[in-house]
Amino acid sequence: MTRNTRLTLALIAVVVLVLGGLLAVNRPAQPPAAITDTGAIESTVLVREDSHRLSTAVDGKVTLVEFLDFECESCAAAYPAVKQVLATYQDRITFVVRYFPIPSHPNADLAARTAQAAANQGRFSDMYIQLFENQTSWSHKEQAQTEVFLGYARTLGLDMSRFQRDLDDPATAARVAKDKTDGAAAGVQGTPTFFLNGRHLTDLRGQDDLVAAIDAVLAK
Amino acid sequence: MSAATVEHTERASLEQGFLSRAAAWICAVGGVVGLLAAVILIVEKINLLADAGYVPSCSINPVLSCGSVMTTPQAEAFGIPNPLIGIAGFAVVTTIGVVLLAGARLPDWLWLGLQAGVTLGVVFVHWLIYQSLYVIGALCPYCMLVWAVTIPIFVYVTLRTLRQHSGALPGSVRRAAAVAATYHSLILTGWYAIILLAILHRFWEYWITLA
Repeated sequence: MTRNTRLTLALIAVVVLVLGGLLAVNRPAQPPAAITDTGAIESTVLVREDSHRLSTAVDGKVTLVEFLDFECESCAAAYPAVKQVLATYQDRITFVVRYFPIPSHPNADLAARTAQAAANQGRFSDMYIQLFENQTSWSHKEQAQTEVFLGYARTLGLDMSRFQRDLDDPATAARVAKDKTDGAAAGVQGTPTFFLNGRHLTDLRGQDDLVAAIDAVLAK
Repeated sequence: MSAATVEHTERASLEQGFLSRAAAWICAVGGVVGLLAAVILIVEKINLLADAGYVPSCSINPVLSCGSVMTTPQAEAFGIPNPLIGIAGFAVVTTIGVVLLAGARLPDWLWLGLQAGVTLGVVFVHWLIYQSLYVIGALCPYCMLVWAVTIPIFVYVTLRTLRQHSGALPGSVRRAAAVAATYHSLILTGWYAIILLAILHRFWEYWITLA
Protein backbone atom coordinates (compact mmCIF):
# COMPACT_ATOMS: atom_id res chain seq x y z
CA MET A 1 0.00 0.00 0.00
CA THR A 2 1.38 3.42 -0.89
CA ARG A 3 1.51 6.26 1.58
CA ASN A 4 -1.24 8.00 -0.42
CA THR A 5 -3.58 5.01 -0.11
CA ARG A 6 -2.89 4.66 3.61
CA LEU A 7 -3.56 8.34 4.28
CA THR A 8 -6.71 8.30 2.14
CA LEU A 9 -8.11 5.32 4.04
CA ALA A 10 -7.14 6.95 7.34
CA LEU A 11 -8.98 10.15 6.38
CA ILE A 12 -12.11 8.19 5.42
CA ALA A 13 -11.97 6.34 8.75
CA VAL A 14 -11.59 9.60 10.69
CA VAL A 15 -14.54 11.22 8.90
CA VAL A 16 -16.77 8.18 9.47
CA LEU A 17 -15.83 7.96 13.17
CA VAL A 18 -16.29 11.69 13.81
CA LEU A 19 -19.69 11.75 12.10
CA GLY A 20 -20.86 8.59 13.81
CA GLY A 21 -19.78 10.06 17.13
CA LEU A 22 -21.51 13.38 16.54
CA LEU A 23 -24.74 11.69 15.47
CA ALA A 24 -24.65 9.40 18.50
CA VAL A 25 -24.04 12.30 20.90
CA ASN A 26 -26.64 14.60 19.35
CA ARG A 27 -29.65 12.30 19.45
CA PRO A 28 -32.71 14.48 19.95
CA ALA A 29 -33.62 14.64 23.62
CA GLN A 30 -37.34 14.93 22.82
CA PRO A 31 -39.18 11.61 22.46
CA PRO A 32 -40.12 11.55 18.76
CA ALA A 33 -43.84 11.12 19.06
CA ALA A 34 -46.56 11.72 21.62
CA ILE A 35 -48.99 9.06 20.47
CA THR A 36 -52.06 7.85 22.34
CA ASP A 37 -53.25 4.23 22.44
CA THR A 38 -55.60 4.87 19.50
CA GLY A 39 -52.74 6.04 17.29
CA ALA A 40 -53.72 9.72 17.38
CA ILE A 41 -51.39 12.45 18.59
CA GLU A 42 -51.89 13.64 22.19
CA SER A 43 -54.25 16.62 22.08
CA THR A 44 -52.20 18.33 24.80
CA VAL A 45 -49.25 18.46 22.38
CA LEU A 46 -51.32 19.62 19.41
CA VAL A 47 -53.29 22.33 21.23
CA ARG A 48 -51.74 24.23 24.12
CA GLU A 49 -53.49 26.76 26.34
CA ASP A 50 -51.80 29.62 24.49
CA SER A 51 -52.23 28.20 20.94
CA HIS A 52 -53.96 30.56 18.52
CA ARG A 53 -57.53 29.64 17.60
CA LEU A 54 -59.12 31.18 14.51
CA SER A 55 -62.46 29.62 15.45
CA THR A 56 -63.77 27.73 18.46
CA ALA A 57 -66.35 24.95 18.27
CA VAL A 58 -69.26 25.35 20.66
CA ASP A 59 -69.46 21.60 21.21
CA GLY A 60 -65.69 21.01 21.01
CA LYS A 61 -66.30 18.03 18.80
CA VAL A 62 -63.99 18.82 15.88
CA THR A 63 -60.51 20.28 16.24
CA LEU A 64 -58.40 21.01 13.17
CA VAL A 65 -54.77 21.95 13.79
CA GLU A 66 -52.50 23.34 11.11
CA PHE A 67 -48.73 23.54 11.50
CA LEU A 68 -47.69 26.24 9.06
CA ASP A 69 -44.86 28.36 7.80
CA PHE A 70 -45.89 31.81 6.59
CA GLU A 71 -43.21 31.73 3.89
CA CYS A 72 -44.15 28.30 2.53
CA GLU A 73 -45.77 28.43 -0.92
CA SER A 74 -47.95 25.42 -0.29
CA CYS A 75 -49.22 26.95 2.97
CA ALA A 76 -50.22 30.00 0.94
CA ALA A 77 -51.84 27.63 -1.56
CA ALA A 78 -53.80 26.02 1.30
CA TYR A 79 -54.77 29.40 2.77
CA PRO A 80 -57.86 30.04 0.54
CA ALA A 81 -59.12 26.52 1.34
CA VAL A 82 -58.69 27.17 5.06
CA LYS A 83 -60.46 30.52 4.71
CA GLN A 84 -63.35 28.77 2.95
CA VAL A 85 -63.50 26.06 5.62
CA LEU A 86 -63.62 28.69 8.37
CA ALA A 87 -66.44 30.55 6.60
CA THR A 88 -68.40 27.34 6.02
CA TYR A 89 -68.11 25.71 9.44
CA GLN A 90 -67.73 28.77 11.67
CA ASP A 91 -68.40 27.67 15.25
CA ARG A 92 -68.78 24.00 14.40
CA ILE A 93 -65.01 23.46 14.36
CA THR A 94 -62.06 24.66 16.39
CA PHE A 95 -59.26 25.74 14.08
CA VAL A 96 -55.81 26.08 15.64
CA VAL A 97 -52.70 27.54 14.01
CA ARG A 98 -49.26 26.41 15.17
CA TYR A 99 -45.93 27.86 14.01
CA PHE A 100 -43.54 25.60 12.15
CA PRO A 101 -41.00 27.83 10.40
CA ILE A 102 -38.70 25.85 8.11
CA PRO A 103 -34.99 26.76 8.16
CA SER A 104 -34.67 26.96 4.36
CA HIS A 105 -37.05 29.96 4.33
CA PRO A 106 -35.02 33.03 5.27
CA ASN A 107 -37.90 35.08 6.73
CA ALA A 108 -40.12 32.30 8.07
CA ASP A 109 -39.01 32.70 11.67
CA LEU A 110 -39.30 36.49 11.56
CA ALA A 111 -42.79 36.15 10.04
CA ALA A 112 -43.83 33.81 12.85
CA ARG A 113 -42.50 36.29 15.42
CA THR A 114 -44.40 39.06 13.60
CA ALA A 115 -47.61 37.07 13.97
CA GLN A 116 -46.82 36.43 17.63
CA ALA A 117 -46.07 40.11 18.31
CA ALA A 118 -49.47 40.93 16.78
CA ALA A 119 -51.04 38.16 18.86
CA ASN A 120 -49.71 39.87 21.98
CA GLN A 121 -52.03 42.74 21.03
CA GLY A 122 -54.91 40.38 20.28
CA ARG A 123 -54.54 40.66 16.49
CA PHE A 124 -53.14 37.25 15.49
CA SER A 125 -55.75 36.48 12.85
CA ASP A 126 -55.36 39.90 11.21
CA MET A 127 -51.59 39.47 10.92
CA TYR A 128 -52.07 35.89 9.70
CA ILE A 129 -54.22 37.29 6.88
CA GLN A 130 -51.71 40.07 6.08
CA LEU A 131 -48.80 37.63 5.89
CA PHE A 132 -50.54 35.16 3.60
CA GLU A 133 -52.36 37.67 1.38
CA ASN A 134 -49.05 39.43 0.69
CA GLN A 135 -46.74 36.42 0.77
CA THR A 136 -45.38 36.86 -2.77
CA SER A 137 -44.16 40.37 -2.00
CA TRP A 138 -41.91 39.36 0.91
CA SER A 139 -41.12 35.64 0.55
CA HIS A 140 -37.85 34.12 -0.72
CA LYS A 141 -35.76 37.19 -0.12
CA GLU A 142 -32.42 36.86 1.58
CA GLN A 143 -32.69 40.24 3.32
CA ALA A 144 -34.68 40.45 6.55
CA GLN A 145 -38.17 41.75 5.71
CA THR A 146 -38.56 43.61 9.00
CA GLU A 147 -39.64 46.87 7.34
CA VAL A 148 -42.38 45.09 5.36
CA PHE A 149 -43.68 43.44 8.53
CA LEU A 150 -43.58 46.72 10.47
CA GLY A 151 -45.68 48.13 7.62
CA TYR A 152 -48.32 45.43 8.18
CA ALA A 153 -48.34 46.22 11.90
CA ARG A 154 -48.85 49.89 11.08
CA THR A 155 -51.69 49.00 8.66
CA LEU A 156 -53.37 47.09 11.46
CA GLY A 157 -52.98 50.10 13.74
CA LEU A 158 -50.94 48.24 16.35
CA ASP A 159 -49.05 49.91 19.16
CA MET A 160 -45.77 50.21 17.25
CA SER A 161 -43.32 50.61 20.11
CA ARG A 162 -44.77 47.58 21.83
CA PHE A 163 -44.83 45.63 18.55
CA GLN A 164 -41.16 46.37 17.88
CA ARG A 165 -40.19 45.47 21.43
CA ASP A 166 -42.10 42.18 21.22
CA LEU A 167 -40.57 41.35 17.83
CA ASP A 168 -37.08 41.45 19.35
CA ASP A 169 -38.08 39.91 22.68
CA PRO A 170 -36.45 36.47 23.24
CA ALA A 171 -39.77 35.38 24.77
CA THR A 172 -41.42 35.80 21.35
CA ALA A 173 -38.76 33.63 19.71
CA ALA A 174 -39.18 31.08 22.50
CA ARG A 175 -42.96 31.04 21.93
CA VAL A 176 -42.41 30.24 18.22
CA ALA A 177 -39.77 27.61 19.06
CA LYS A 178 -42.17 25.95 21.51
CA ASP A 179 -44.71 25.41 18.72
CA LYS A 180 -41.99 23.95 16.56
CA THR A 181 -40.92 21.54 19.30
CA ASP A 182 -44.52 20.37 19.68
CA GLY A 183 -44.68 19.91 15.91
CA ALA A 184 -41.53 17.79 15.95
CA ALA A 185 -43.00 15.71 18.81
CA ALA A 186 -46.14 15.21 16.74
CA GLY A 187 -44.01 14.00 13.83
CA VAL A 188 -44.38 17.08 11.64
CA GLN A 189 -41.78 17.01 8.83
CA GLY A 190 -43.08 19.78 6.64
CA THR A 191 -45.80 22.34 6.09
CA PRO A 192 -48.70 22.57 5.87
CA THR A 193 -49.46 19.63 8.16
CA PHE A 194 -53.04 19.22 9.34
CA PHE A 195 -54.28 17.19 12.28
CA LEU A 196 -57.99 16.52 12.54
CA ASN A 197 -58.91 15.40 16.06
CA GLY A 198 -55.33 14.27 16.54
CA ARG A 199 -55.05 12.37 13.29
CA HIS A 200 -52.51 13.44 10.71
CA LEU A 201 -54.34 14.19 7.44
CA THR A 202 -52.21 12.84 4.61
CA ASP A 203 -52.84 13.00 0.87
CA LEU A 204 -54.71 16.28 1.04
CA ARG A 205 -55.06 17.32 -2.58
CA GLY A 206 -57.23 20.35 -2.07
CA GLN A 207 -60.15 21.94 -0.36
CA ASP A 208 -62.53 19.08 -1.20
CA ASP A 209 -60.38 16.58 0.68
CA LEU A 210 -60.25 18.83 3.72
CA VAL A 211 -64.01 19.39 3.68
CA ALA A 212 -64.69 15.67 3.22
CA ALA A 213 -62.47 14.81 6.19
CA ILE A 214 -64.21 17.38 8.41
CA ASP A 215 -67.67 16.24 7.30
CA ALA A 216 -66.75 12.65 8.09
CA VAL A 217 -65.82 13.57 11.66
CA LEU A 218 -68.85 15.87 12.12
CA ALA A 219 -71.16 13.07 10.95
CA LYS A 220 -69.92 10.68 13.67
CA MET B 1 23.09 11.47 -17.10
CA SER B 2 23.58 10.01 -13.62
CA ALA B 3 21.76 6.93 -12.41
CA ALA B 4 19.71 9.04 -9.99
CA THR B 5 18.52 11.34 -12.77
CA VAL B 6 17.56 8.36 -14.91
CA GLU B 7 15.57 6.89 -12.04
CA HIS B 8 13.95 10.26 -11.38
CA THR B 9 13.00 10.71 -15.04
CA GLU B 10 11.61 7.19 -15.18
CA ARG B 11 9.51 7.75 -12.09
CA ALA B 12 8.23 11.02 -13.50
CA SER B 13 7.23 9.42 -16.78
CA LEU B 14 5.55 6.52 -14.93
CA GLU B 15 3.59 9.07 -12.92
CA GLN B 16 2.79 11.01 -16.06
CA GLY B 17 1.43 7.81 -17.60
CA PHE B 18 -0.65 7.10 -14.51
CA LEU B 19 -2.12 10.61 -14.41
CA SER B 20 -2.99 10.52 -18.12
CA ARG B 21 -4.72 7.16 -17.75
CA ALA B 22 -6.54 8.25 -14.59
CA ALA B 23 -7.71 11.45 -16.27
CA ALA B 24 -8.94 9.46 -19.30
CA TRP B 25 -10.88 6.97 -17.18
CA ILE B 26 -12.40 9.63 -14.97
CA CYS B 27 -13.43 11.75 -17.97
CA ALA B 28 -15.08 8.72 -19.58
CA VAL B 29 -16.85 7.31 -16.52
CA GLY B 30 -17.51 10.60 -14.71
CA GLY B 31 -18.65 12.17 -17.97
CA VAL B 32 -21.27 9.45 -18.51
CA VAL B 33 -22.54 9.78 -14.90
CA GLY B 34 -22.70 13.57 -15.20
CA LEU B 35 -24.44 13.28 -18.57
CA LEU B 36 -27.10 10.93 -17.15
CA ALA B 37 -27.68 13.22 -14.16
CA ALA B 38 -28.07 16.24 -16.45
CA VAL B 39 -30.53 14.36 -18.69
CA ILE B 40 -32.64 13.34 -15.66
CA LEU B 41 -32.61 16.93 -14.40
CA ILE B 42 -33.79 18.34 -17.72
CA VAL B 43 -36.57 15.74 -17.91
CA GLU B 44 -37.69 16.71 -14.40
CA LYS B 45 -37.55 20.35 -15.41
CA ILE B 46 -39.82 19.68 -18.41
CA ASN B 47 -42.27 17.75 -16.22
CA LEU B 48 -42.28 20.61 -13.75
CA LEU B 49 -43.05 23.10 -16.53
CA ALA B 50 -45.87 20.87 -17.79
CA ASP B 51 -47.45 20.72 -14.33
CA ALA B 52 -47.16 24.34 -13.25
CA GLY B 53 -50.04 24.09 -10.78
CA TYR B 54 -48.27 21.54 -8.64
CA VAL B 55 -47.11 22.98 -5.30
CA PRO B 56 -44.97 20.53 -3.34
CA SER B 57 -45.29 20.85 0.42
CA CYS B 58 -42.45 22.59 2.24
CA SER B 59 -40.29 20.14 4.13
CA ILE B 60 -37.57 20.26 6.75
CA ASN B 61 -36.05 17.43 4.72
CA PRO B 62 -33.63 19.29 2.45
CA VAL B 63 -33.70 16.56 -0.17
CA LEU B 64 -37.48 16.64 -0.60
CA SER B 65 -37.23 20.29 -1.58
CA CYS B 66 -35.71 19.30 -4.91
CA GLY B 67 -38.57 20.95 -6.77
CA SER B 68 -37.82 24.19 -5.01
CA VAL B 69 -34.19 24.08 -6.18
CA MET B 70 -35.30 23.76 -9.81
CA THR B 71 -37.55 26.79 -9.71
CA THR B 72 -34.88 29.17 -8.38
CA PRO B 73 -33.09 31.75 -10.53
CA GLN B 74 -29.84 29.89 -9.76
CA ALA B 75 -31.19 26.94 -11.77
CA GLU B 76 -30.85 29.08 -14.89
CA ALA B 77 -27.64 30.91 -14.08
CA PHE B 78 -26.87 31.82 -17.71
CA GLY B 79 -30.44 32.30 -18.85
CA ILE B 80 -30.83 28.67 -19.91
CA PRO B 81 -31.48 25.73 -17.58
CA ASN B 82 -28.17 24.56 -16.03
CA PRO B 83 -28.68 20.90 -17.07
CA LEU B 84 -28.45 21.97 -20.72
CA ILE B 85 -24.93 23.24 -20.04
CA GLY B 86 -24.27 19.94 -18.26
CA ILE B 87 -25.47 17.86 -21.20
CA ALA B 88 -23.19 19.70 -23.62
CA GLY B 89 -20.19 19.78 -21.26
CA PHE B 90 -20.37 16.19 -20.06
CA ALA B 91 -20.88 14.90 -23.63
CA VAL B 92 -17.59 16.55 -24.63
CA VAL B 93 -15.77 15.28 -21.52
CA THR B 94 -17.05 11.74 -22.11
CA THR B 95 -15.98 11.82 -25.75
CA ILE B 96 -12.47 13.01 -24.91
CA GLY B 97 -12.19 10.33 -22.20
CA VAL B 98 -13.28 7.55 -24.56
CA VAL B 99 -11.00 8.77 -27.35
CA LEU B 100 -8.06 8.74 -24.92
CA LEU B 101 -8.94 5.25 -23.70
CA ALA B 102 -9.05 4.11 -27.33
CA GLY B 103 -5.35 4.98 -27.43
CA ALA B 104 -5.41 8.33 -29.23
CA ARG B 105 -2.70 10.86 -28.43
CA LEU B 106 -4.21 14.30 -28.29
CA PRO B 107 -2.32 17.51 -29.04
CA ASP B 108 -1.47 19.83 -26.16
CA TRP B 109 -3.93 22.52 -27.18
CA LEU B 110 -6.82 20.06 -26.86
CA TRP B 111 -5.73 19.06 -23.34
CA LEU B 112 -5.45 22.72 -22.44
CA GLY B 113 -8.93 23.34 -23.83
CA LEU B 114 -10.22 20.48 -21.66
CA GLN B 115 -8.38 22.03 -18.70
CA ALA B 116 -10.08 25.38 -19.33
CA GLY B 117 -13.49 23.69 -19.60
CA VAL B 118 -13.18 21.62 -16.43
CA THR B 119 -11.86 24.63 -14.53
CA LEU B 120 -14.92 26.69 -15.47
CA GLY B 121 -17.04 23.66 -14.61
CA VAL B 122 -15.58 23.22 -11.15
CA VAL B 123 -15.91 26.93 -10.36
CA PHE B 124 -19.55 26.90 -11.49
CA VAL B 125 -20.26 23.76 -9.46
CA HIS B 126 -18.87 25.36 -6.30
CA TRP B 127 -20.97 28.44 -6.83
CA LEU B 128 -23.98 26.10 -7.13
CA ILE B 129 -22.96 24.23 -3.97
CA TYR B 130 -22.76 27.52 -2.09
CA GLN B 131 -26.13 28.66 -3.44
CA SER B 132 -27.76 25.32 -2.71
CA LEU B 133 -26.50 25.16 0.87
CA TYR B 134 -26.56 28.74 2.06
CA VAL B 135 -29.00 30.64 -0.17
CA ILE B 136 -31.65 28.17 -1.34
CA GLY B 137 -31.25 25.88 1.67
CA ALA B 138 -32.18 22.71 -0.14
CA LEU B 139 -30.43 19.75 -1.73
CA CYS B 140 -31.15 18.03 -5.00
CA PRO B 141 -29.72 14.50 -5.39
CA TYR B 142 -28.98 14.64 -9.12
CA CYS B 143 -27.32 18.03 -8.72
CA MET B 144 -25.11 16.46 -6.03
CA LEU B 145 -24.19 13.68 -8.45
CA VAL B 146 -22.97 16.38 -10.84
CA TRP B 147 -20.90 17.95 -8.03
CA ALA B 148 -19.47 14.53 -7.19
CA VAL B 149 -18.16 13.83 -10.73
CA THR B 150 -17.03 17.33 -11.63
CA ILE B 151 -14.54 17.48 -8.73
CA PRO B 152 -12.48 14.35 -9.63
CA ILE B 153 -12.57 15.26 -13.33
CA PHE B 154 -11.04 18.62 -12.40
CA VAL B 155 -8.52 17.13 -9.96
CA TYR B 156 -7.08 14.52 -12.32
CA VAL B 157 -7.10 16.65 -15.46
CA THR B 158 -5.35 19.43 -13.52
CA LEU B 159 -2.74 17.14 -11.93
CA ARG B 160 -1.97 15.78 -15.39
CA THR B 161 -1.70 19.27 -16.90
CA LEU B 162 0.63 20.42 -14.12
CA ARG B 163 2.86 17.39 -14.58
CA GLN B 164 2.84 17.68 -18.38
CA HIS B 165 3.91 21.31 -18.27
CA SER B 166 6.07 21.09 -15.15
CA GLY B 167 9.02 22.47 -17.09
CA ALA B 168 7.21 25.76 -17.59
CA LEU B 169 6.37 26.15 -13.88
CA PRO B 170 8.42 27.94 -11.22
CA GLY B 171 10.27 25.56 -8.90
CA SER B 172 8.01 25.93 -5.88
CA VAL B 173 4.84 25.33 -7.89
CA ARG B 174 6.49 22.35 -9.57
CA ARG B 175 7.37 20.80 -6.21
CA ALA B 176 3.85 21.45 -4.88
CA ALA B 177 2.38 19.86 -8.00
CA ALA B 178 4.62 16.82 -7.56
CA VAL B 179 3.45 16.39 -3.95
CA ALA B 180 -0.17 16.84 -5.04
CA ALA B 181 0.26 14.19 -7.74
CA THR B 182 1.63 11.75 -5.15
CA TYR B 183 -1.33 12.32 -2.83
CA HIS B 184 -4.00 12.52 -5.54
CA SER B 185 -6.68 10.41 -3.84
CA LEU B 186 -6.05 12.07 -0.47
CA ILE B 187 -6.77 15.46 -2.08
CA LEU B 188 -9.98 14.15 -3.63
CA THR B 189 -11.12 12.53 -0.37
CA GLY B 190 -10.34 15.68 1.63
CA TRP B 191 -12.27 17.78 -0.88
CA TYR B 192 -15.30 15.47 -0.63
CA ALA B 193 -15.03 15.46 3.16
CA ILE B 194 -15.18 19.26 3.37
CA ILE B 195 -18.35 19.38 1.24
CA LEU B 196 -19.90 16.49 3.18
CA LEU B 197 -19.22 18.26 6.47
CA ALA B 198 -20.70 21.50 5.12
CA ILE B 199 -23.88 19.65 4.08
CA LEU B 200 -24.16 17.93 7.46
CA HIS B 201 -23.50 21.14 9.34
CA ARG B 202 -26.02 23.18 7.33
CA PHE B 203 -28.89 20.68 7.74
CA TRP B 204 -27.84 19.26 11.11
CA GLU B 205 -31.25 20.00 12.60
CA TYR B 206 -32.80 17.58 10.12
CA TRP B 207 -30.11 14.86 10.11
CA ILE B 208 -30.35 14.33 13.88
CA THR B 209 -34.07 13.56 13.56
CA LEU B 210 -33.01 10.51 11.54
CA ALA B 211 -30.53 9.18 14.09
